[in-house]
Amino acid sequence: MNLPAFTLDRAAILERVGDDEEIFAMMVDMYLQDVDSNCALLTDALAANNMSALQREAHTVKGLLATFSDEAGTAAAFALEQALRAGQAVDAATAVAGLVARLREVAVVLKQA
Amino acid sequence: MNTVLIIDDSDINLTLIKALVLKLGECSPVLFDNPLEALDWCRENVPDLVIVDYMMPDMDGLKFISAFRALHGRNEIPVLMVTANDQKDVRYDALLGGANDFLTKPIDRVEFSARARNMLSLRQGQKFLADRADHLAEMVEIRTQEIRDRERELIFRISRAAEFRDPETGAHIQRMAHYSQVIAAGYGLDAQAQKLILEAAPMHDVGKIGIPDYILLKPGKLTPEEFEVMKGHARLGYELLKDSASEIIQAGAQVAISHHEKYDGTGYPHGLKGHQIPAFGRIVAVADVFDALTSERPYKKAWPLDEACKFLEDGRGKHFDPLCVEAFLAGWEEILDIRQRFRDEDVPMI
Repeated sequence: MNLPAFTLDRAAILERVGDDEEIFAMMVDMYLQDVDSNCALLTDALAANNMSALQREAHTVKGLLATFSDEAGTAAAFALEQALRAGQAVDAATAVAGLVARLREVAVVLKQA
Repeated sequence: MNTVLIIDDSDINLTLIKALVLKLGECSPVLFDNPLEALDWCRENVPDLVIVDYMMPDMDGLKFISAFRALHGRNEIPVLMVTANDQKDVRYDALLGGANDFLTKPIDRVEFSARARNMLSLRQGQKFLADRADHLAEMVEIRTQEIRDRERELIFRISRAAEFRDPETGAHIQRMAHYSQVIAAGYGLDAQAQKLILEAAPMHDVGKIGIPDYILLKPGKLTPEEFEVMKGHARLGYELLKDSASEIIQAGAQVAISHHEKYDGTGYPHGLKGHQIPAFGRIVAVADVFDALTSERPYKKAWPLDEACKFLEDGRGKHFDPLCVEAFLAGWEEILDIRQRFRDEDVPMI
């Protein structure tokens, strides 16, 4: 899964939260606190071959990345969620690895924000 | 202050929505990351707005709404469901399942504020209508009571108008009505019937209003023909009262026509026997005769109480229903108390 590099569109995110820097900072903090857990939930669901749990985690990651206006990451998570929901054959391991990498990439960018 | 319940398994969403709710002003957010715990909270608390995520472990948003709506009194409370744009099927199901509106992820403050404010306005309207309905119900209760009080007062005054024309007093009406209530209680009638006879008994002689003065006020003994006219007061009273929509006046009509019937069938106007005579008539007969005997009138002295009681006892199964006499004597202490409370010289209202 090759996604374009994540760039932080701070203005767009701020606009959504009513230009409230405090809320923005809080969201960044929470993302950074939870990112390890989110990655672990994805990989654990994959390791357990629990496709319904994996679908739910893909949905969560989709929402999380959308919160930071990561359209490409959101689309990747959505694709995995939809494929699992439809019961389609999917290379879940590659998709999960891609999402984990994306979550960490976004974390790095947010840390610098 | 509006209580806004927020349910989302994602901490970041909970925090974001909480911050946006606080920015609405006059709102107190209550947060749950577990829908089952939120549902438990809802059993004891009533939120003004619910914001619930769709996809959660254990229980999704649709199931939460369904369970929430099933709780008593939670059917009208606004619910906003948080969904992704792509979940059109979920949105349809949510609308059918009781959601009022949606919030799209990622949450946008402008959209959030507008939708949340709309929902809270809806809730305020509901509360206003509920308060107004309660207030109106209270007012109706007060006014209905006032009308009932006026109805009772009018009945008392009409009954007195009839009595004014003969030597009976207002206190007689009060005493015999309260005696009737004591007998009704001892006879086993329920509280509602006891109250009804108290209010209806004063109308027993209202038909006297139609009896000519030369008979009603005649100082000496009535001739057989005059007595026949006098007996007509029972039927006159009944005719006067019978078509009323009021339960009290209907009961008064029954009392008027039946209080001179005798248990052995020798009374008037119909010569009814035993339980052919309505219970109210059998009860009032005992109360009315006892008070007439024990009251002083221009043409007679008051009987001593023991003699009046003996008259009732001797009349058991003949003039009176034995059970009514028994109930009267069993309530003797109350009878004495009523005699004390309602003396001929002062006439309080019922």
